[in-house]
Amino acid sequence: MAERMLSDVLEDAFVRCRELDVPLADRLQAFANETRRLDPPFAAATDALVSRLAESNAGATAPKVGEPMPAFMLPDEQGRLVRLDDLLGAGPVAIAFNRGQWCPYCRINIDALARAEEEVSAERRHIAAIVPDRQRFAMWLKTDAQAPFPVFTDVDNGYAMSLGLAIWVGEEMKRLMVKSGWDPSVTQGTDNWMLPIPATFIVGTDGIIRARFVDPDYRMRMAIEDMLAALRSAK
Amino acid sequence: MEMHQIRYFLAVSETLNLTKAAERCNVAQPSLTRAMKSLESELGGELLRRERALSHLTELGQRMLPMLRQCYESALTAKMLAASMRKGDIAPLAVAVSRTVPLSPFTPMLRELSRVLPGLQLTLRRGSISEVAESLKSGAVELAIAGPLGEGWSRLDAFPLFEEPFDLVVNETHRLAGRNRAEFKDLVSETLLINTGCEMAEELGASLAANGILDTPTHQVTTREDLLTLLKANMGVAIIATGAVETSGLCRIPLNELNLVRRVSVYTVAGRRRAIACATLLNMLRAADWGLDAGRKPQRELINGGTYAQRRP
Repeated sequence: MAERMLSDVLEDAFVRCRELDVPLADRLQAFANETRRLDPPFAAATDALVSRLAESNAGATAPKVGEPMPAFMLPDEQGRLVRLDDLLGAGPVAIAFNRGQWCPYCRINIDALARAEEEVSAERRHIAAIVPDRQRFAMWLKTDAQAPFPVFTDVDNGYAMSLGLAIWVGEEMKRLMVKSGWDPSVTQGTDNWMLPIPATFIVGTDGIIRARFVDPDYRMRMAIEDMLAALRSAK
Repeated sequence: MEMHQIRYFLAVSETLNLTKAAERCNVAQPSLTRAMKSLESELGGELLRRERALSHLTELGQRMLPMLRQCYESALTAKMLAASMRKGDIAPLAVAVSRTVPLSPFTPMLRELSRVLPGLQLTLRRGSISEVAESLKSGAVELAIAGPLGEGWSRLDAFPLFEEPFDLVVNETHRLAGRNRAEFKDLVSETLLINTGCEMAEELGASLAANGILDTPTHQVTTREDLLTLLKANMGVAIIATGAVETSGLCRIPLNELNLVRRVSVYTVAGRRRAIACATLLNMLRAADWGLDAGRKPQRELINGGTYAQRRP
């Protein structure tokens, strides 16, 4: 039997992990474990990138709890331009930066957010995702997870960059990512291999950040329970 | 990485001198050096080699320079777009569109732009490829939409939007109408309608010659509208980019062995400060779903797009 492409094997592992009926952190961890088993060089490169980012305090200057969330105007997956103020007019919002349609961790994350949506909207709270991907891929993410919330396009990671949340992937990681079938240059339509640090901000209707999660280890995301609790207490 | 780190790096790359760069950025040199070190540690390598008075960029520094400049500009753009316009503010926007590119694919973006910028005042210029390039260079327009400009000007930023295949187009009453495919030899006895104002005219001519279509009679026009009008009058057949052809009364037939596509891109001038309307439109054009992906095959998952969503309860 011909050896299967690494990207296909990883895709199967991703589908298995996404379907697990366990908390988000466990689904993410399950996929991280699968990557470690199936593609040890990739896992090693990820560890190296993550520790380099952590040592250089990447993301440390992102807006903090108690500070105002910087304003934005971004196109959603259908090309409508939306401002942060428009979102806040409808209630407190969880803003989740994700790396893109190609990223299995982000697809698991968006899936978990979509599953939480019912509870969120019942309390007049909202979710918004931001990716550097073009609309076609933003729409794909949304459809894939059956997410009712908007997925915004941050062209060239401009908004993420202005928040100190943009990172460069690096040459070695880039090579390994392409081999694994994960290519953000296709989804972003640009070859600069910049990505946002996944981050979630809970913003009250006054524009003030009530809770945040920023971790340069992109295998980690804000726990859904933490997001729900922060959204509930936000005004 | 942080905006001030990139700003310092850009200043260093221009001055090649840490003292001068610090002066330009209005910071103490130790702060600038610290920020550079921090950026280097995040990127995992040295960006500049410090040598007495004059430093120079390392290979990594050279490689990162255009990417970091683009990132910095897009962050500035993001901040500018977020700032709300005051009521009554005028947002002028001058755009050049190649005569061969129809405007209709861009109307949703223009409509959205006028919604968020009520002070929008649009100036739309049509022109040939060289006129489009010239009006960008001279600053008469901020943004242009066209096929390949064929310009060697290094300050021209091109962002590919979509690709359109060239097909044979005939009147619906033409003898070839209704065919699934056509071949070059089918054209031997036909009159060809040629738009000499098309940016791909040269490539198309070469393709015709290479396939033995040399002495065919032609009608020559200089605009796309005139070509379509003659097609609708059944005055001949044409080979044109068919991405957004208004097809009533016409028939589009793929031509075997013709592998010609036109890439439509949006162009701006690098380093020139973009006004809010231009920056917003550029972002919308670049983010938009054109259905056709310039120069790239979609990723594997996209071929089965939505299958997981369908499968799940």
